[in-house]
Amino acid sequence: MAALGIRIRLAVCATLLFVSVATLPPASAQQPSSVNPTADAVKEQQLLQQLNRIQGLGSIPDVKSYVIEQPQGREWRQFHEVWLHWIGAVAVLGMLAVLLIFYLTRGMLRIESGRSGINIVRFNAFERFVHWMTATCFIILALSGLNITFGKEILLPLIGPSAFSSWSLAAKYAHNFVSFPFTLGVILIFVMWIAGNIPNKVDVEWLKQGGGIVGNKHPAAYRFNAGQKMIYWIVVIGGAAVAITGYLLMFPFYGTTIAGMQLAQVVHGVVAVLFVAAMLAHIYIGTIGMEGAFEAMGAGTVDLNWAKEHHRLWLEEQNLGTGPSELQRRPSATPAE
Amino acid sequence: MARMKFLCDADRCIECNACVTACKNENEVPWGINRRRVVTLNDGKPGERSVSMACMHCTDAPCAAVCPVNCFYTTADGVVLHSKDLCIGCGYCFYACPFGAPQYPRLGNFGSRGKMDKCTYCTGGPEADNSPAEYEKYGANRLAQGKLPLCAEMCSTKSLLAGDGEIIAQIYKDRVAKRGYGSGAWGWQTAYRETIAT
Amino acid sequence: MLIRKSERQARRGTLAGALPMQGDGGLDRRAFLRRSGLAAGTLASLGPLSLGSVRKAKAGLPPPAGAQVTIRKSICTHCAVGCTVTAEVANGVWIGQEPSWDSPINRGSHCAKGASVRELVSGERRLKYPMKMANGQWTRISWDQAVNEIGDKMMAIRQQSGPDSVYLLGSAKMTNEGSYLFRKFGAFWGTNNTDHQARICHSTTVTGVANTWSYGAMTNSFNDIRNSKTIIIMGGNPAEAHPVSLQHVLEGQELNRANLIVIDPRLTRTAAHATEYVRLRPGTDIPVLYGMMWHIIQNGWEDKEFIQQRVYGYDDLRKEVEKWTPDEVERVSGVPGEQLKRVAQMFATQKPATLVWCMGQTQHTVGTANVRASCIALLLTGNVGAPGTGANIFRGHDNVQGATDVGLDIVTLPFYYGLTEAAWKHWSRVWEVDYSYLQSRFDSKQIMETAGIPLTRWFDAVLLPKDQVAQKDNLRAMFIQGHASNSITRIPESLKALAKLDLLVIADPHPTTWASLSVEAGRKDGTYLLPVCTQFESSGSRVASNRSMQWGEQIVKPIFESKDDYQVLYLMAKKLGFADLLFKNIKVEGDRPVPEDILREMNRGSWSTGYCGQSPERIKAHMANQKDFDLVTMRATTGPLKGDYYGLPWPCWGSPDVKHPGTPLLYNTNLAVMDGGGCFRARFGVERNGVNLLAEGSYPKDSEIKDGYPEFTYGVLKKLGWDADLTPDELAVIQKIGGDKPETVSWSIDLSGGIQRVALKHGCVPYGNAKARMNAFGLPDPIPVHREPIYSPRIELIAKYPTLPDAKQFRLPNVGFSVQKAAVEKGIAKSFPLIFSSGRLVEYEGGGEETRSNKWLAELQQDMFVEINPADASERGIRDGAWVWVTGAENGSKAKVKALVTERVGKGVVWMPFHFGGWFAGKDLRPNYPAGTDPVVLGESANTITTYGYDPATGMQEPKVTLCQVQAA
Repeated sequence: MAALGIRIRLAVCATLLFVSVATLPPASAQQPSSVNPTADAVKEQQLLQQLNRIQGLGSIPDVKSYVIEQPQGREWRQFHEVWLHWIGAVAVLGMLAVLLIFYLTRGMLRIESGRSGINIVRFNAFERFVHWMTATCFIILALSGLNITFGKEILLPLIGPSAFSSWSLAAKYAHNFVSFPFTLGVILIFVMWIAGNIPNKVDVEWLKQGGGIVGNKHPAAYRFNAGQKMIYWIVVIGGAAVAITGYLLMFPFYGTTIAGMQLAQVVHGVVAVLFVAAMLAHIYIGTIGMEGAFEAMGAGTVDLNWAKEHHRLWLEEQNLGTGPSELQRRPSATPAE
Repeated sequence: MARMKFLCDADRCIECNACVTACKNENEVPWGINRRRVVTLNDGKPGERSVSMACMHCTDAPCAAVCPVNCFYTTADGVVLHSKDLCIGCGYCFYACPFGAPQYPRLGNFGSRGKMDKCTYCTGGPEADNSPAEYEKYGANRLAQGKLPLCAEMCSTKSLLAGDGEIIAQIYKDRVAKRGYGSGAWGWQTAYRETIAT
Repeated sequence: MLIRKSERQARRGTLAGALPMQGDGGLDRRAFLRRSGLAAGTLASLGPLSLGSVRKAKAGLPPPAGAQVTIRKSICTHCAVGCTVTAEVANGVWIGQEPSWDSPINRGSHCAKGASVRELVSGERRLKYPMKMANGQWTRISWDQAVNEIGDKMMAIRQQSGPDSVYLLGSAKMTNEGSYLFRKFGAFWGTNNTDHQARICHSTTVTGVANTWSYGAMTNSFNDIRNSKTIIIMGGNPAEAHPVSLQHVLEGQELNRANLIVIDPRLTRTAAHATEYVRLRPGTDIPVLYGMMWHIIQNGWEDKEFIQQRVYGYDDLRKEVEKWTPDEVERVSGVPGEQLKRVAQMFATQKPATLVWCMGQTQHTVGTANVRASCIALLLTGNVGAPGTGANIFRGHDNVQGATDVGLDIVTLPFYYGLTEAAWKHWSRVWEVDYSYLQSRFDSKQIMETAGIPLTRWFDAVLLPKDQVAQKDNLRAMFIQGHASNSITRIPESLKALAKLDLLVIADPHPTTWASLSVEAGRKDGTYLLPVCTQFESSGSRVASNRSMQWGEQIVKPIFESKDDYQVLYLMAKKLGFADLLFKNIKVEGDRPVPEDILREMNRGSWSTGYCGQSPERIKAHMANQKDFDLVTMRATTGPLKGDYYGLPWPCWGSPDVKHPGTPLLYNTNLAVMDGGGCFRARFGVERNGVNLLAEGSYPKDSEIKDGYPEFTYGVLKKLGWDADLTPDELAVIQKIGGDKPETVSWSIDLSGGIQRVALKHGCVPYGNAKARMNAFGLPDPIPVHREPIYSPRIELIAKYPTLPDAKQFRLPNVGFSVQKAAVEKGIAKSFPLIFSSGRLVEYEGGGEETRSNKWLAELQQDMFVEINPADASERGIRDGAWVWVTGAENGSKAKVKALVTERVGKGVVWMPFHFGGWFAGKDLRPNYPAGTDPVVLGESANTITTYGYDPATGMQEPKVTLCQVQAA
């Protein structure tokens, strides 16, 4: 990122300045016999070339106002108006296209051995609450976030500036306020499921088989397979990234400069659109992509056969560690759609 | 059409802040909102220069480009204005602005920036010229009265120039030629993609 | 829906484009160029300007529907540049400020203060009604009650201690009429203890300059600096103190490619624009000036003809200058000889050269000597009395020149007549009261003719033992109308005195630090606050630094219950029983004396200073025709006033019907007297020890006397045979004044104006034609002598350059010598190693209560600070922006302020702005103000730290050099 380059340049210049100050002779030495302030006047071009940023001293307490010129705003604009649009469009539309193609070619992945009629608990009520809270927040954040980037191109022409502004203002408030439960959710997810999400050898094999896409048999997995672990880490790392950068933007100039906020916005924007793309895949596989998956987070239980096929090792653990009393028999075997 | 611009001749600027209080006076700008400010570079050292800075009313303004709700517009005189009715206070224009011009009243709790406020070149806003509604939201509309921004009109040393870009560029050129030095047309390269050859 | 203004405008634009740009409200090319602030000449070839959004409209802020918008002009109240303020008023409300393009002084410009004056009459923090301190509580009272109680207390003090125990502290913020009335009020009350800000501002200039060549005022004008080839600003920071003056300085410098040399301990905002910056140790102005003169004399750069014709005492000067070799100058001041030689050469050879100074020279124990040395430098190089030359003394308050001229002072009656019996008799004739009546008002004839107590020492006059105060009793009451307390040094002492006063009256738009400190001092009773309006709510004339008189109209009526200065003085005089005599020739409308009448009375008595020709009608005509005056010469080139100089800069000789145009440049022999020419005044006799004091072979253009001559009297007229030119009426007046000795009646006391008229008729200046004095015999140091500050860090220099011996001055002892000696013995310079200096910020003025109450200004400087060099800061572990304690050398004084680590100040020097107040020794005094009247910004006062030190000739304080220590808080 260009901004990073600028920061490095700044740091180097600051060091040079410091060195030059430190090596000045003591001020008590004889005064210079010629001082021409006008001839020594700073020049705009020179300052811009040195630091690409011009900063001085003002008298009002607003320290950020002491920066009078920072042309890197132009670079950020280029990112926001061009690159982010492309990245977002490619990521979101690309993912939708991939999923569509996948669905059209493979359809819903069925439980191969059919439903056993026996349900086992996969996620308890608290886990599900956390998941759905986070998921709801995410959807609100995603829509309001995408609106900030794409709304003026998609929605504005449809509903007009006044309505669009009202909607966007509401969306902004929603985005700001919903960020708090979302962040809480991400933290809880991190703590709650970290144990099952440490990568291990089994994941290597799972990945080699592409989670079952390559070849026809289901690779073995513990409670979370490598694909789910990827989603977990995307949520945790991506969530942390958007949360941190988001709060930097929400509390302007607390510990950041304008360049820092530009960088934060770049990270926030890129991570967010990739996050949205990843979550589209997650939603797909948890709903129409795979039979028996949704109920895990819906009712909290899964069919025994589903567990056997997708999470054999987990099921074995469950059986070893706990008695069959944990297993529940369900009268109906209707698959969850 | 005249293309209105600002030019601060830093070799004349003495940081007297007349531009700042003239702006406050003319537009009744509240405490904490600084549409214009004066910054001193190299303070206290030989070579010190002060520059008065506000919205430069850029050509192809970055604020307008990044605004998520398209609330900016450029007048026939090249003045970049915005609609406070449409602004959602997102802060993006501040990230994009090379001059730190956008200001936000701090409303309520965290992050709830109010509607953005900035220098209007004393040209008001979308409301009817010199209407009370326009004044309340944006301040005075001097341009519609055939007057230039008060900051430049009241500048103590005629350092801050406002007016048709070509004319003020010519004034600056003449000054530099006459006196033999000039620290540059501050912000022109960034705002207008042009410099004044002297 | 968003209405796209650009589209509307584009449509309008085509219409506008089709019309010539001349319509009212439209911006024609000429107006545009003026508004852009340029000379039109170079741009004449540019094409026509079309503005898309121009259309017909009125006024700035939208006025209420149907309201008539009127334009009123007044003068900015914040410095002596004299900027015109143009106000738009609707329904009695000041709704907008517009640039005053027509004023030749400011040409539309303002500084931060001028551009914000509209706020002053919105009154959020103003004192709204009279109040008194009753049992420790601020209590609202009526005007009647306030005037009665104050009057009764004053009378009681008068009974017990005499009129001199009431101190009348007036203001340079008053109009000429107000300050004149205040002085006259003092005369009728029976005291010479009437002072104002000039004491702490340019009293040393007035005394030093007047003792050199006659009048203590700026010789040229801001505009005239445009003619200079070399400009030295020594001890002044006009970029902050007089910003609009820099318009003339910088434009002139650019057009002439002039040398702009700034000599100052700080690299100020002014110095940033210099072509040469000279840093000197604070308090070494005389060595630096002598150092320059050493090079000038050494190289023969002096103006020999000028000295021979127009200067007295050159040989005495040379003896003193010889002592100041480059080595000694550098040892004392720190300025390298090579640099000083270059500066001296520019000053002496690249002419015309001017010397500008301000508080940096005047506010010292050697203030008078400093300004004398500056005048001498000008005389030595012949840089006086011509365009582009002169002592351009930038005065501080908007009417400090006028208030000084009208005698709001302890040493003189109005217009520098002094306090002699002759002076009192002159004024009793003007006032049409018996001399014996005036005498009866005083304790004695002797005290009536004795200079009063300088305001710098009011607290000493309260606190010192009675036998050390040379009047009947100590001071017991302070009546303060428009003067800050925190601009006076030694605040810890004034705090003690505040506790001891019987009566404290503060008549001001704001309660000021007098109020907050009086509560801190423990006063529970006997304090009164009277709300006085600003000059924007009154009318009257004021004199700018360049001696131009300008008339300010009333913009709005006094807000809340406030009254103007005239009303307050009338109510007090009525209560005290002398209103009828005081206003004998002045019409009073309701309770408001008419200022025009006051000015007419001044015209009738001010022959000495040439305020005699400035009738209200003429001054108002100047305000109405500002556009006709030339930018550089300030002369009207067209219109009804063609030939007049703007504001009839005094001396404006003769009665108004003589139509003297005013004197834009003092002592200018290149012009005829009736064209504004002049010469040095014959004020000190005609010869001394056999040496001629009159000019030799130099005289104003067209003078019928082609040589020096003494001041005109009826006797001189008779000798010249010009007495026949007097009319019978004039002669009758002269004979009536002169009694049995009409020959002695001089140009300055001839109420008929006949002597002046006849002198002018013959091309002569009424005051004579003499030499300027390098040797000002009569002053404590007739030839300026360097003397170390009372508190100097260079104790090794004190033995060689000690301050003057202790003496009794202005009714009080001045023990500077003892204080200096004790400081050396106690080793003060070791425990307080930093030089402390103070000065101005552009956003605030004076004590600052008014400007710190103005929210637009207050936002720009929210914290009191101390400037400290990075080297000194790092030695003390002080970070930029951190809180520090500044401790002073007397009274264990201390102040808590923020550190501004900057190279503006050199190592070993710290600097503080003096406008802050409302804190004392780290304590916030905000609760001490009456509710709702506390200024937005409060802070420690610099003068908490300042110390003893008084100029022997004027009682000027020493806020520019003392010692202090700084440590992290």
